[in-house]
Amino acid sequence: MRRAVPVRTACLWCPDWPVVALRARNPALHDAPVAVVERAERGLVVVAASTEAATEGVTLGLRRREAEARCPGLAVVEADPQVEARAFERVARAIEAFTPRFVLEEPGRVTFPTRGPSRYFGGDTAMAVHCLDAVRAVAVTDARVGVADGGFAATLAARGAEPGAAYVVPPGESPGFLAPWPVAVLDDPEHSDGALGDLLVRLGLRTLGAFAALPEGAVLGRFGPAGARAHRLARGMDEPTAPPAPPPPELVETAELDPPAIHVETAAFAAKGLAERLMARLGGFGLTCSRVTIEAETERGERLTRCWRHEGALTPAALAARVRWQLEGWLTGDDIADDDTSGDELATSGLMLLRLVPDEVLPAAGRQLGFWGGDAAAADRAGRVLARVQGMLGHPAVVTAVPQGGRTPRERVRWVPWGDPRDPARPAGAVAAPGANVREVPPWPGAIPAPAPARVFDPAPAAELLDAAGAAVTVSGRGDPSAPPARVRCAALPGSEGEVAAWAGPWAHDARWWDRRARARRAYWQVLVAGPDGGRVACLVAVTAGRAGLEAIYD
Amino acid sequence: MRIEHTFPYGPAVALAALPRRDERSREHLDNAARHARPVVLAGERVLTVPGPLGARLPGGGVRRGTVVAVDGDPGAGATGIAFELAAAATAAGEWAAAVELGAGLGGLAAAEAGVELDRFPVVRRVPPARWAAVVAALLEGISLVLAEVPGYARTADARRLTARTRERGAVLVAVGPWPAAAALRLRAAGSEWRGLGVGEGVLAHGDRRVHVDGRGVAPRERFAALARAG
Repeated sequence: MRRAVPVRTACLWCPDWPVVALRARNPALHDAPVAVVERAERGLVVVAASTEAATEGVTLGLRRREAEARCPGLAVVEADPQVEARAFERVARAIEAFTPRFVLEEPGRVTFPTRGPSRYFGGDTAMAVHCLDAVRAVAVTDARVGVADGGFAATLAARGAEPGAAYVVPPGESPGFLAPWPVAVLDDPEHSDGALGDLLVRLGLRTLGAFAALPEGAVLGRFGPAGARAHRLARGMDEPTAPPAPPPPELVETAELDPPAIHVETAAFAAKGLAERLMARLGGFGLTCSRVTIEAETERGERLTRCWRHEGALTPAALAARVRWQLEGWLTGDDIADDDTSGDELATSGLMLLRLVPDEVLPAAGRQLGFWGGDAAAADRAGRVLARVQGMLGHPAVVTAVPQGGRTPRERVRWVPWGDPRDPARPAGAVAAPGANVREVPPWPGAIPAPAPARVFDPAPAAELLDAAGAAVTVSGRGDPSAPPARVRCAALPGSEGEVAAWAGPWAHDARWWDRRARARRAYWQVLVAGPDGGRVACLVAVTAGRAGLEAIYD
Repeated sequence: MRIEHTFPYGPAVALAALPRRDERSREHLDNAARHARPVVLAGERVLTVPGPLGARLPGGGVRRGTVVAVDGDPGAGATGIAFELAAAATAAGEWAAAVELGAGLGGLAAAEAGVELDRFPVVRRVPPARWAAVVAALLEGISLVLAEVPGYARTADARRLTARTRERGAVLVAVGPWPAAAALRLRAAGSEWRGLGVGEGVLAHGDRRVHVDGRGVAPRERFAALARAG
C-alpha cells in the first residue's frame, strides 16, 4: 500500500471571520457583543461570536434564544456567506502576493503548501511572520498561522496559535502535536460526517492520541472508511487531496501585443479573438466558465488583474464585452476613476500582454431557451447592461425587489443586489416549523393591508401628527390613541402640511419585545391629507417613542 | 374532439380559429407572429399598455423609441402611472429598469401594479455626475427605463437621452421635471381614495386623474379619470 507523505502545509486562520466581515461593513458593531447565526436543523444556531460575546458564555453551536439569554444585549445577525467571501477577498489577495497556490477552505481560512514560500523566505517561521505581516497590512488584526505536516494538523496548529502569532510544528512531529487534542476536532464536517467524535468519547477514547493508538485494521472494521480516514488524520497521515494548483495551463489564453496597444480599440480587438479562442477551447472539453481573470502586462512591467464573474455561464460575446470594459478602465481610466469598489490601478504605458484565465470552470450544461414569453436574448442583453452599471457604481447599486414576510411596506421587501440569489430573508408564505410535519404560515399580526404605497422612504423624514388642539398624537401601550389626528406636518408633503380628511389606525406594533435593545413600539396610521389644491394625498405615518415620521406615500 | 388547423391564410386566420379561452396563448402567438413578420410598420412599434390607462393613450400604448414624461406632485399618482408602464413591458416578456433618486420606490406597489420583479432591476445611489451616463447605459439593453429626473438634469443631457432612446427603440419613462420635448406627457392630477373613513376602514384605490398630452391625442381626451381595481 502506498504511503503518502503529508505535504508540509500552512494554514492562515482569521477567527470568527463572519464577525470581522460584519464589523467591517457595519462599524457601529465595534466593541458590541455580536453573534452570527445560521439556520440549522434545530433552528438558528450561533456560528461565530465576538470575544465580547464569548466572555459572556456565548459559544458556537448554541441556539439563538439561549445565546440571547446568556448575553443580554447581544446583536444577532444572520450569516451572509457572500458578503463574508467578498470581504475575505482582500486577505486572499495579500496571500496571493507571495504564493499563487492557495486553497480558500472557507471565508476566514486559507491553506497553502509551504515548500516554495518557506524556501524563499528562509524557513517556516520566517514565512509565517511574513504572512502575518501581509495580512495585517490589509487591516485584519486577528489572524493566526499554523504550519505542520498536512492540512489537518496545520489547521489545528493555527487554532493553537496565540492571536496574531504563528505556531510552527517541526517536520515529523505532527503526530505528537495531534495526540493531546480531543477527538471532537475530527467532527469538522469536512473530515467526517459528525457523530464519530461523540461515539469515540463514549468508548473512552478522549484524545486523538488514544484513537491513533488503535490498530488500523480494527478501526476500518468497526468504523468503516470514514472512520479509517479519521484515524489516518489522527495519526498525522493527512492525505494529500487534490493539490492546490492554478488551472491547467492549456486553458489559459495569452496574446502578446506587438507593437504595444495604447488605444482601447487595438487591445479590445485582440481581446475579442482571445475570448473566442478560450471559449472554443473550453467548449472542446465540454466546459464553460463562470468566472474569468483578465490579466494584462504593460511595457513598464506593471501587471494588472481583475476577476469577472457571471451568474450564468459566459458566452464569447459576454466575455469579450467584459474584457473590453476592463481595458477601457485601465487605458482611459475616466470611467472607473472614482469607483469605490475597485481602488483601481491604471496602466501608465501600452499593454504588451493580455491573458485570460478561466477561474471557475464547470461542465457546459447547455442553455434552455424560453419557449413562450421569456426572451433569452433580452435577458442576456439586460444582464450585460446591468453588469456594466454595477461596474460604474459598485455591486450594491443595482438591486431587485424580493417580497418577503413582514408588517410594514419597508419590511415586506428585501432589496437584493443584482447577481446575488433572490431569497427572502423572512418567509412570506408557508414554512415547515422545525420538528413538525405541517407547514405553517408565520403570522404577521398588525400588518398594514394592501394596497402598498408606491413611495417608501428610508429613512423616514420627520413629520408631526397633531390633534385638533395642536398637541402631538400619542398611542398608549394598549394601542389607544390620545386623540384623533387632525393635522399632518411634513416637508415631504405638497404644501408641507394639511388637514387630515380621513384616517385609519393605529396599527400598534410591539416589535422585538423579547429583545431589550432592539425593542421598538411603533404605531402606524393611514391618513388622507388634504393638499393645497384640493387634492388628497394618502400616506402612512409612523409614531415611535413620541416622534412621528412619514413612512410612505401612496403615489 | 381534437381540432387541428393548417394556417393557409397567415396568422390572422389561425388566431381566429383558436378557442377563445386560450387568451394567453393567443396573445403569445400574436407576439410571435409580430416578431416573425419581415416588415414592421411604424404603427406597430408600440408597447401596448393594458387597462384604462392604455385606452387613453394614442395607439393603445407607448411608441417605442420615444420619451414619456410623467409628472405630478408627491401623492398625485405619478409613480403609479410609471409602474403601470413598466408592467406593460414586463408583461410582454421584456425587461424594465428603474433609476431611483431620493425617495425609494415601493417594490410591493410595483408588484401590485403587475411588474415582474425579477425583470425589474432598480439602480440606486446614483451620483449626480453619473445620472445621464447610467440612464444611457440602461437604454442600451433594456426595453423600458423608468428614470427619475433630478432637478439638476440639463437640457443637453435630456436631448442626448432622447436620441439614444430613439436609436435603441427603447421607451424612456421620465418621472419628474423632464427638461426637453417628449412624445407623450402624462400629468398625474391626484387620486380618489376610497374605503378610508374617520377612524375606520382601510385605504382602497379609487379613480386616478390623468392629463394626457402629446401627438395623436384627441383634444377632448386630454383629461381622463381612470378607474383602478383594488
